[in-house]
Amino acid sequence: MVAGSFVAVVEPRYAGSILLSGLSVSASLAEPDRFSWSETALFAVLVLASAGLFFWRFGPILRTIVRSKKDADFSLQPIGRRVWDFVWEVLCQTKVIKQRPLPGLAHAFVFWGFLAFALVSLNHLATGIRVGFLPPASYVGNFYFLFAATWALLVAVSIFGLFVRRFFVRPIWLGKKISYESGFIAFLIFLLMVTYLAAFFVNGGGPAVKALWWTHTLALLVFLPLIPHTKHLHLVLSPLTVFLKRDGFSKIPPLAGDEDFGLVTGKDVTQLISLQTYSCVECGRCTEHCPASTTGKVLNPKEIILGMRSYLNEFGPASDMSLLTEGRVTSPDNPPAKYLSMEAAFECTTCGSCEYQCPVGIQHVPIIVGLRRGATNTGVWEDTYGTKLFLALEKNGNALGLSAIERDKFIQKQGFPIFDGTQEYCLWLGCMGGYDPKGREIIADFARVMNHLGTTFGVLKKEKCTGDPARRLGNDLVFQTMAEFGLKALETAKVQKIVAICPHCVRTISNDWREYGIAPEIEHHSEFMARHKDRLPKQASGESIVYHDPCYLGRYQDVYEEPREIVAQAGTLVEAPRSHERSFCCGAGGGLAFLGEESGERVSHVRASELAKTGAQVVGTACPFCNTMFRDALSAVSTAPPQLLDIAQLTARALPETQEMSQ
Amino acid sequence: MKIVVAIKQVPERDAQIHVAADGKWIDERDLNYAINEPDAYALEEALQLKEKNGGEVVVVCAGPERVTSTLREALAKGADRAIHIEADDLGERDTLGVAQILADAVKTESPDLILTGLQSDDLGLGQTGVVLAELLGVPHATIIMQVEVVDGDLKVKRELEDGWFQYVQMPLPALLTIQSGGNKLRYATLMGIKKAKTKETKTVTPSTAAGAQAITLERVYLPEKQKKTEMLTGTPAEVATKLVEKLKFEVRVI
Repeated sequence: MVAGSFVAVVEPRYAGSILLSGLSVSASLAEPDRFSWSETALFAVLVLASAGLFFWRFGPILRTIVRSKKDADFSLQPIGRRVWDFVWEVLCQTKVIKQRPLPGLAHAFVFWGFLAFALVSLNHLATGIRVGFLPPASYVGNFYFLFAATWALLVAVSIFGLFVRRFFVRPIWLGKKISYESGFIAFLIFLLMVTYLAAFFVNGGGPAVKALWWTHTLALLVFLPLIPHTKHLHLVLSPLTVFLKRDGFSKIPPLAGDEDFGLVTGKDVTQLISLQTYSCVECGRCTEHCPASTTGKVLNPKEIILGMRSYLNEFGPASDMSLLTEGRVTSPDNPPAKYLSMEAAFECTTCGSCEYQCPVGIQHVPIIVGLRRGATNTGVWEDTYGTKLFLALEKNGNALGLSAIERDKFIQKQGFPIFDGTQEYCLWLGCMGGYDPKGREIIADFARVMNHLGTTFGVLKKEKCTGDPARRLGNDLVFQTMAEFGLKALETAKVQKIVAICPHCVRTISNDWREYGIAPEIEHHSEFMARHKDRLPKQASGESIVYHDPCYLGRYQDVYEEPREIVAQAGTLVEAPRSHERSFCCGAGGGLAFLGEESGERVSHVRASELAKTGAQVVGTACPFCNTMFRDALSAVSTAPPQLLDIAQLTARALPETQEMSQ
Repeated sequence: MKIVVAIKQVPERDAQIHVAADGKWIDERDLNYAINEPDAYALEEALQLKEKNGGEVVVVCAGPERVTSTLREALAKGADRAIHIEADDLGERDTLGVAQILADAVKTESPDLILTGLQSDDLGLGQTGVVLAELLGVPHATIIMQVEVVDGDLKVKRELEDGWFQYVQMPLPALLTIQSGGNKLRYATLMGIKKAKTKETKTVTPSTAAGAQAITLERVYLPEKQKKTEMLTGTPAEVATKLVEKLKFEVRVI
């Protein structure tokens, strides 16, 4: 459309040549036939200046990245996954397109157009020093230039569309401030495409072709030095970032050595973090999906990344300046850093939406947890609730701060056998299942399901928290204590297989504990029940049940379908507006269930009203933390709240009464 | 300011206590131990005083090898040094006996201030601190909620009964027994634990064996539940009269 209007302007002047070329061979690219020595010299000087400016700006960034601390746990393995991510996410642009289809597709066309243009631009510059290698008249040249022309058209249309989006539609996620530089770069890209396309419509050798050639060249050479200090740096870095990102979702790296407490100062920022912060394209997808940002909290994951970048730009990766703004360590001699706030870092629910959304491979959660580690492991983070939680874990071994005797009493009352090696499964109760009234109902119902299936199970005599809330709040001491206790308890009891009702327990045991040892195989009760679903009752009530994907089951462990199969057996499955990978957090994760009142709107209320508005009769959950959050939230947002049931309860309610615990 | 904190290791709060076979003490097998809670507050007070006024915090604890874990925890929370009084016969010593060995260790430090918890979670005698002050020849104040250092003197807030408080000004050196809940306890940190490894723990042995004590422990037993139900019969008026009589003369509550 845009290119078309351009042609309309040009047409009367070059109508003859179009007609002629159209009649003779086929449309082919016009190139200047000769350059004077002075032109070549000027060209060489401009190329060198452009490249020089580029490296003058890119050099310090590269140095910052290289001089950052090495990632102790980094390994290129699994290389297959890395290659796949590169092909799938970078070359195929799947993430870019999937999460924002229209602008995503426009971006993909620009990207693919750039790839197609690599050869064109190389040849273009080569002709400037008289070594052009792809003559437009050759068969290959003729074909390739037409191929590139198709892309040029797509790029021109796309970049125009993106320009309109940024400057006229203005989605808030792109930031309140208009980036005129982005507009200028869009203009340069548009100019590059138009000058290329126009060269199909002019005669070789004339002054017009020279003018087009020079305009194209200048646009290219002006573009290059603008890359390093704008978000366009992602052109250079993000393919590498996607390829090199840490293996595993939200993988929290082990601390390296006795001096490592997490992200305390610039010295603790690793190469991967550095690379990731400079790759940020500021698209704001992380913010758009962040439960904290969208409910009026200080935290904005994009600002965390950009704050880290600003810190590195100002202080560098060797600085002793603390990364977070508040805290006991600041004094007149040690003023607070200005870019990252402790308040923001501790508002994260670690739901992982940001990390999942990020198209350039930034792993936000390990960075945010890293900042928390830096504050908690050094005692800088002071929070009444946080301290209470840590002391409860230290003293009582559970996050609820209740006496371990309460768990013993519950086990006795339910008649749960103690795991002695003769049973197939160890039923992991977790803090919620062992101490929380609603969690206990879920466990009791799941036990009924297991009994109904004739699966033998036992519970550990003594069980402590997996350390999940301590882990996410950055307390490595408590986390290690919990992990080591748990590993030993499971080993002593000779447990082979574990099943748990809490996705946080499953994730922490199977993944985070690896820092201290290998735990037995563990699965979530949704996986267990889905595997046995043929032997579980089908309910014909037709009751509508909206399923809420817990972050730690979905995004963290890729379990989406199993709980749905269970829900579908119990009634009619209804999908929430945001579901699967885009599910919205309940607000409990990252230890936040145990911290005080949140600022702004409650995350749980936003999600609960979303679920209630589906009109479903039941809200189906698969995580005791989500369940506990929604219990209050549903009645707060709705006068006739839907029923709230875990998938274990949805299943157990249809079991015959005789299947009650036989012990 | 040099502060010594005398701490005690006690069975964990939710431990299931069994009386030992000889009936003289509890069965210590399978028990987990932790810092005595009021002592944790005494330590917190000491650490906050040090943060405000500078100086050094030394923790001292008497008991068998297992108490070193509690000392390490205190070092991790911020104490500078630890003294372990190696004593396996703590159960045989009465308050005076325990205070004696603590006093011997504290004396060599000549501190400005000695803090202890107001009582222990296991025995709950509330005497050790007071006797220790007597042995050291320093003034003491008990059940302290707040401590301030004003011009080289102490200003403390004591908890009295019935919601009353008393403010006392006293000279240094002195001994204070600290009430729970006056401050917020801090959590142990990884950095603290790592630093604690480099801190000094001195082990001393008491000069005297337990020997004869002023108080001897006769028997330890779990609270015995007694449930006596007596049915009062008659017309409502008669029952009421009998009930009033019993409440007045037998139970003596009205």
